Amino acid sequence: MPTQNLVETHNLTKQYGKVRCVNAVNMQVPPGAIYGFLGPNGAGKSTTLKMILGLAKPTDGGITLFNIPVNEKNRMKLLTQTGSLIESPSYYGHLTGEENLRIIQTLKGCSEKDIDKVLKIVRLDEARGKLVNHYSLGMKQRLGLAAALLGFPKLLILDEPTNGLDPAGIQEMRELVCSLPGAYGMTVLVSSHLLSEIDQIADHVGIIRKGELVYQDTLESLHSHSKEQIAIRVSHTAIALDLLRQDGVEAAEEDGYLLLPMVDDAYVANLCRLLVAQNISLYRIEKREKSLEDIFLSLTGKESSL
Amino acid sequence: MITLQTEFKKIKRKKIGLTMCALIGIQFAWLLWSGSHPDENERLDGWISMLYNLPLVSVIMMPTIMSVLASRLADVEHKGNTYKLLNTLRRPGTLYHAKVLCGILFILAISIAQFIFIIALGYARGYAGHPEWNYYATAFVLNFACCLSLYLLQLLLSMVFFNQMIPLVAGLGGSMLGLILMYVKMYSFLPWGGFLSAAQVSMDWNPATKVIHFYYREHSPVELCAIAAIFVWIVVFYAAGRILFTRKEV
Repeated sequence: MPTQNLVETHNLTKQYGKVRCVNAVNMQVPPGAIYGFLGPNGAGKSTTLKMILGLAKPTDGGITLFNIPVNEKNRMKLLTQTGSLIESPSYYGHLTGEENLRIIQTLKGCSEKDIDKVLKIVRLDEARGKLVNHYSLGMKQRLGLAAALLGFPKLLILDEPTNGLDPAGIQEMRELVCSLPGAYGMTVLVSSHLLSEIDQIADHVGIIRKGELVYQDTLESLHSHSKEQIAIRVSHTAIALDLLRQDGVEAAEEDGYLLLPMVDDAYVANLCRLLVAQNISLYRIEKREKSLEDIFLSLTGKESSL
Repeated sequence: MITLQTEFKKIKRKKIGLTMCALIGIQFAWLLWSGSHPDENERLDGWISMLYNLPLVSVIMMPTIMSVLASRLADVEHKGNTYKLLNTLRRPGTLYHAKVLCGILFILAISIAQFIFIIALGYARGYAGHPEWNYYATAFVLNFACCLSLYLLQLLLSMVFFNQMIPLVAGLGGSMLGLILMYVKMYSFLPWGGFLSAAQVSMDWNPATKVIHFYYREHSPVELCAIAAIFVWIVVFYAAGRILFTRKEV
């Protein structure tokens, strides 16, 4: 069935022996998005991305790329519109950066001019003649990104692109990834185990835990879960809730508390007066704040290594 | 064709050609040394004796040379962890074929160099008459086939194992085994003994007169089966390599 998403997985599952590394994942990456695929180490991020790229065969489920269900016959054709950097960069250390890119350019069948362009984008144009064995880790990572950018594909899949980079390298990579949708109309699917990283580059987020996609929405929506709230504990919760709703307050009940959106002090004082006037006793008023980390940990489990 | 072209781009600066030249040079030195001062009788038997010596040199040297060649071609991918990129650009089967074809071109060059060398050496030493071209042509084809079967076996090992010491030790072991087989009998169904089965010439040595008599072999049915085994190994190693390579997840 045709969809609007650039990448879709349908109950994508991968099992090694008796272990299900990826379990019925339904990922949806909209066009033009930077989709952050977040999860603790070993959650199944790389395996999912490898299945999308055809590097690992799914045990069950399917993948749709560019609205076309992927099969063995059309896989290579669809992948010509993608670029990827999985785990560590792939390179021939005994060749120069430019020679490495020339091999990829020949195999991709894209223009030779692209080599100059991508070298400039990743700021490796001055090191193009240097053997890759003499590159720093950050330079190798940037070369890997340059290889992925060759042909300026519609979809870029990056698996932990900042792994092993120093803070300056991380910042540089982050800026580069953020600029891609705007500058080249690319959709980026980027994985990371760091919430802060995804928070800074992505506009959509999928959170995977023990092979299962436990959350998927816009980053804005995830942030909305982290907004501050006022929690009030009273003697008659149901009556108080009705009163507040009649007064136009968007209140909800949770674990015996009334939860209100963040309001100013004057409003809280008025609210107290209103409840007391109705003979409702006030036991407690708290300010609650759920951070993004709290949400992430509640979704992925505190025991997971991050 | 493009994939094959990139195979040659990948091995730039790896000096594979030079390594092959050095290893073949040892073979040439061996052939140069054996019969370096031929007398009149040796000149009469020169061309036939050359076809006797060549498989003996090959059975010892070629397993090692093929393991080095396959290892050098496969190692560039292991070191750079490149399969996870290449497999998104080409089907694994196409990549495997490119490696096989690249190796075939090297083997062809090695085989041609071998035969040019022995023919040139024969004329330089003043051997009587001319080479028996039909036997030389058969020897060339079978020598090439033996090398190919060993290369496909070594390529399979080099692609499966990240640590290239394992296929290299297998190649050296093959050379040792070939040396042992040489003293057992002049044919073998093992891939490393193919050069012996394929030999066009045999000899009788008279201990009393110490005279060696070379003659062209009339292969028995068993020996013909051993020659057929060379081609069976080619098919088996090719198919096994392709299956392993295409099914391997990276």
